[in-house]
Amino acid sequence: MKKNSTSELFFNKHSKDILVVLPAFNEVKTIEKVMNDLLTLDLQLLVVDDGSVDDTYKIVEKLSKRNPEQISVYKHILNRGLGASLRTGIKAALLKKPRVIVTFDADGQHHSQDIYSVSRPIIEGQADVVIGKRDFKEMPFLKSFGNRIMNTITFFFYGHLVEDSQSGFRAFNLKAAALIKLHASGYGVSSEIVGEVFRQDLILEEVPITTIYTDYSLSKGTNSRIGLKILAKLIRDVFK
Amino acid sequence: MMFLYQYIGILVGLVAFIFTLMRFREGKLSLGMLVLWSGVWIIVVLISIYPEATSSLAIISGIGRGLDVILIISIIGCYYLLFRMYNMIENIEEEIDQLVREIALERGKSGESSSQDEDSKPYN
Repeated sequence: MKKNSTSELFFNKHSKDILVVLPAFNEVKTIEKVMNDLLTLDLQLLVVDDGSVDDTYKIVEKLSKRNPEQISVYKHILNRGLGASLRTGIKAALLKKPRVIVTFDADGQHHSQDIYSVSRPIIEGQADVVIGKRDFKEMPFLKSFGNRIMNTITFFFYGHLVEDSQSGFRAFNLKAAALIKLHASGYGVSSEIVGEVFRQDLILEEVPITTIYTDYSLSKGTNSRIGLKILAKLIRDVFK
Repeated sequence: MMFLYQYIGILVGLVAFIFTLMRFREGKLSLGMLVLWSGVWIIVVLISIYPEATSSLAIISGIGRGLDVILIISIIGCYYLLFRMYNMIENIEEEIDQLVREIALERGKSGESSSQDEDSKPYN
């Protein structure tokens, strides 16, 4: 209860300073609810539709016409992957100069109230980048195993161990968002962000977040096949 | 007397050489690649006509038989080409990324509506 009132106060004061980047690819089932939840908190939204072939873009457009002050929409004419979407989103977000840029998955696995947890350290100047770490104990075994492997791989290739390298829920201050240089097009971008945070000497904080697991959200994100692809890409980058 | 594989080798080499020249004339092949590929196909034709010439290669390289040398060189050449192609595809992918992102940012900035977007829907 106390936390709720604290976060309410926080949102009342800072919601206009926070811009949420939502990369979306074929998220017709969840995008409307995710956006409405964020709009309720009076946050600024920047949606990057990554060439969806379902009605994701139509839904985003509809909501954006209703809330033109709060929503900006960017559309990739072809599907280019999570990394490309985040790069477009962050670049567009930088032009709007918010105090905090949050990246948030559009598949409904994140809790909108957790934006408080990831944004607070940025607003209070304690961190440049915040990663919302999921509780691996709550994850299905295969998913948590895959994520642990990805943490190890990220450590191996980027030299830094973080608790949840693959989390899509992050917050950046403007300095960090401008400094981080990303090249990955796909899911490998999450490990790349961790590498960049340390390469640029940015202050990183990891805060716990709640994850909402549904059959839908479980089918999205990093699976073993994507894990192997990320590994292949990381190995190739070493030899580049 | 020539064996069947020699005729096949000559035919493949000549057809590929002509194909290479045509690609160059159409402007689809750079001068460097024309020289490289012409060299490869000329060697294929020459070896097909004079297979015994590979024996000297076998002696120099220390690999038992002349044709084995050619096969090993060919496999290494194929891997090299695969590597080149892989890198080229990666570069093209990066360029497509850049293009798609630039278009998204430009359109987003100018606030184009969905009606204009209808024309550029993917997979139509």
